[in-house]
Amino acid sequence: MEVRTMIKAGKPAPDFSAPAYYQGRFTHVELSRYREQWVVLYFYGGDYTFV
Amino acid sequence: MLSLSVDSVYVHKVWNESELSKMVPGGVPFPMLSDPGGKIGREYNVYNEDTAVDLRGTFIIDPDGVIQGYQVLTSVVGRSTDEIIRLIHAFQIVRESKEKEFTPADWKPGMMVLKPAVELVGRVWEMWKPDRSRE
Repeated sequence: MEVRTMIKAGKPAPDFSAPAYYQGRFTHVELSRYREQWVVLYFYGGDYTFV
Repeated sequence: MLSLSVDSVYVHKVWNESELSKMVPGGVPFPMLSDPGGKIGREYNVYNEDTAVDLRGTFIIDPDGVIQGYQVLTSVVGRSTDEIIRLIHAFQIVRESKEKEFTPADWKPGMMVLKPAVELVGRVWEMWKPDRSRE
């Protein structure tokens, strides 16, 4: 069975790493690298849609 | 700011070059993450199994890695960027005050904040009124 992380305001954000496109380059992003900064995660349905 | 969808980084690249750069000079200034199969979307409970894409989920994470707030919308209505910025301003003010100052409903940058204290109980009405906050 799949174990789901509890998403709750006031609780730690689940860490992840993902391939990314950033200003002309392919790179890799880890959420944990953004400690000491404010982060907005912005999920959307798909490229070429309005987000 | 990190954006995420189930699309590959290759599609992100072409979308940025062919369309987004026409809306934002130089293209988007933040990393566009690929979430194939909605793995991260599932972790954040925004993955729609029926359509196999992520919903419009927005999460505000503080410098300690704690989720301070989130919003999830279906695919039919877009978000308010102003509201996301307002929330970050508010969370930053509260954090800088070491949680000695809170922001009431409809607060905007520049407005007064509340300092929770026993004396404030029952007297918020003297400082905060719905019409005033909408000015």
